[in-house]
Amino acid sequence: MVKFLSEEWIEHGKNYMLEKLDPEKDLKNLTTSLLGVIEHVPPNDTTMNFYLELRDGKLSDFKVNTGDTFEGKEAIFVIRGNYGTYKDILEGKIGTAMALLRNRLKLKGSKMEALKIIKPLDGMIESLRKITDEFEE
Amino acid sequence: MTTNKVLTIEKISLDDAVKIAEKGTHCGMCRIDFLGTGLCPSGKKHGYLAYWPQGRMELVKHLKEGKIKPTEKLVEIANSCTLCGICDKQCNFATQLRPEKVARALKEYVNNLDKSEFQSVPEDDILIGLREIVGAEWATNDPIIITSYVRSIIPPDVELNFYIVMPENTEQVSKIIKFANKHNIPFLPRSGGTALSVASPTVLSNATNLEHGIVIDLLRLKKLEIHPESCTAIVGAGITSFELQKAAYKHKLRANVAEAGAHYCANIATTGVITTWGNRYGCLADNFIDLKIVDNDGNIKNHSDMDITNPYTTEHGFTNISLSPSYIVTEATAKLFPVFDDEEAILVPFDNLEDALDMVLKLGKRGVGLSVAVLSYKYLAEFICPTPKIAKDFEDICKNYLKLRYVVDVICDSDDKKIVEEMAEYTIDQTMMKTLILGSPKLASLKDSEFMKILSEEENPLRAIFAGPMRKHFEKGLDASPEQLAKVYDKDLQDFFKKVYSKPEMTDVVWLHAFRILPSRLMRQQMTMGPGGAIWAGDKNHILKWVDMFAEVGNKYNLEHALGFVSPLDNGKFIYIEYDYFYDHNDPDVANRISKTLLETTEKSLAMGGVFTLINYLFKGIYRKEHVLYPLLKGLTKEEQTVFREVLQSVLGEYEQW
Repeated sequence: MVKFLSEEWIEHGKNYMLEKLDPEKDLKNLTTSLLGVIEHVPPNDTTMNFYLELRDGKLSDFKVNTGDTFEGKEAIFVIRGNYGTYKDILEGKIGTAMALLRNRLKLKGSKMEALKIIKPLDGMIESLRKITDEFEE
Repeated sequence: MTTNKVLTIEKISLDDAVKIAEKGTHCGMCRIDFLGTGLCPSGKKHGYLAYWPQGRMELVKHLKEGKIKPTEKLVEIANSCTLCGICDKQCNFATQLRPEKVARALKEYVNNLDKSEFQSVPEDDILIGLREIVGAEWATNDPIIITSYVRSIIPPDVELNFYIVMPENTEQVSKIIKFANKHNIPFLPRSGGTALSVASPTVLSNATNLEHGIVIDLLRLKKLEIHPESCTAIVGAGITSFELQKAAYKHKLRANVAEAGAHYCANIATTGVITTWGNRYGCLADNFIDLKIVDNDGNIKNHSDMDITNPYTTEHGFTNISLSPSYIVTEATAKLFPVFDDEEAILVPFDNLEDALDMVLKLGKRGVGLSVAVLSYKYLAEFICPTPKIAKDFEDICKNYLKLRYVVDVICDSDDKKIVEEMAEYTIDQTMMKTLILGSPKLASLKDSEFMKILSEEENPLRAIFAGPMRKHFEKGLDASPEQLAKVYDKDLQDFFKKVYSKPEMTDVVWLHAFRILPSRLMRQQMTMGPGGAIWAGDKNHILKWVDMFAEVGNKYNLEHALGFVSPLDNGKFIYIEYDYFYDHNDPDVANRISKTLLETTEKSLAMGGVFTLINYLFKGIYRKEHVLYPLLKGLTKEEQTVFREVLQSVLGEYEQW
């Protein structure tokens, strides 16, 4: 179990998703990419992001960066929310779709297309939930 | 110990108080002065829900269950009630409950508490920050106060990890949101809370309520100005429909408002004020000239600002579902409309929906009437009858003896009245409606009587009673008077209700439509869930098929159900339909069936196509109807239906669990 947005979090997340998620069954052989922008990251109220890419249902990229863009990476979907929202999602207090529908996450990209991948996305979030147990206060 | 202290003086135990409280539905009628009694002094002074009768009712349930421990605030809340009896009068009119008994029980309970067992509630950094914004009195993390918000923004059975904050103006709302974002705390505004309360027993509870964080109670935003010269009103987010209408009426103006206890700005933000006046006055963004809004980043904007993306537009498609407002509307510049001297109510009774629908479609397209709707016998009975028992018997008489299943209900001027009369074989006029309102107890008592049996054997009982020779006997026999009606109330309230029903407005159908104090009776001691939405008016069979679908699903889940109302919109191009399911909100089994019904009817509606469901309507009120309704969705494809189901599952859990 590791801290959200840490290097270990990326490593554990990658390994967990590659090992536990079936490209066809869980990830529907999807090819897509997602940039998650996290605002108001404590303790210094900074902005960070993670970039996540799937090719044919297989995780091909997963990185963390500072700021609200990932240089050289143009994601199909960009979701933006504050640290507390991501924390609530990773603690299972609120689902990703719910956060979107309640405007706690803002989406850039087609909502229809985003909702089409909600099941695989839930699967990935569930994986990250299982490895994340520490947050900035 | 926090439970089961027995009361002696008034012989009201906490158990008895809980029995009363459980029947409460957060209708909020105790927060408006609709009977001329004045307002609950405690609630008016302290603001927080816990100081209002409805909040105390929620509070005693949790105390009894041992879910919360007393704090010093509990003593203040209990003692703040002066036992003036206003709440009993208000609540009795709407629901027949006696909340003052709950307040008495609470006082006794508090008197018997061991003060050394009170839990202390330390002020934390978040509370300090919120108090710096709104003042010490108007922000709290006291669990006793928080508890009163359960079931009307806080879901049942969650930890009370909340702050309640009551800003006084838009600037404070903005500061609260910026503060919340900085500290990564979710927030949600609360106004009347009725819609949240309706969702609370169902699967929608977690979707629409706040799981933890800051409840922004908007009650203190009380700005209200009427500008007769421009027929507009500036309405703060704490202003109820009743308050706005009362102020507008002083200038012979009328606002298009929802139920009396609903807050106008919240209605704008949610569904854009759904009423039976929509064909004439408009819907969605038609209702306002401008809005003052605070976005999710805490920025204050006006809807009319030039530098923001077109605020009147919204995306299309069934995925355009929102479960919380895009903005907090803190102030609206509302449109007002003239009240004419010759306005009248005229009702046309029908024994079947198809004929009633025909008439409403014609009236809608021709622009006849100010308020136009088909109401079912169930609505009629619930609205005009003073108690649930009388309403039930009244319903039976309408359905089984009079064959009065629907009425086309029109508020109009004298010119339009002539048109309606020409279209109808017979009508129910204002005089007859007054007779029915004041004579409803007597009429209900005639159930199974010889008179009713004879009447039901008439070829057309409706004509016989409303246009034939029996009308005079009927009117005389009902003995309709405030004195007679008052007798159905508890003895100590009879004089009061005699005076209330002697006021002309209480039997004035136009006034009752404009001020909408009667719909609260749909939630008396039970809950109502009213899905529906808008549908093209051009295909009558499609409309009837939609209504049938709601009935079939209601039958499938063994629920009490009835059509609520059908009303035209946008010069008769659309029809808005509300279909109601009634249920005991304390019964988890029936709440579960309501959840299934809500989701199944939504999915079936979307599959049918040509409709815009209530779920899609949510939080679209700030947009133009041309963007929201045009074009109505085609039926979902199989793939879209799968996506819809997957999204619902992701949001609300596995289908089988609902």
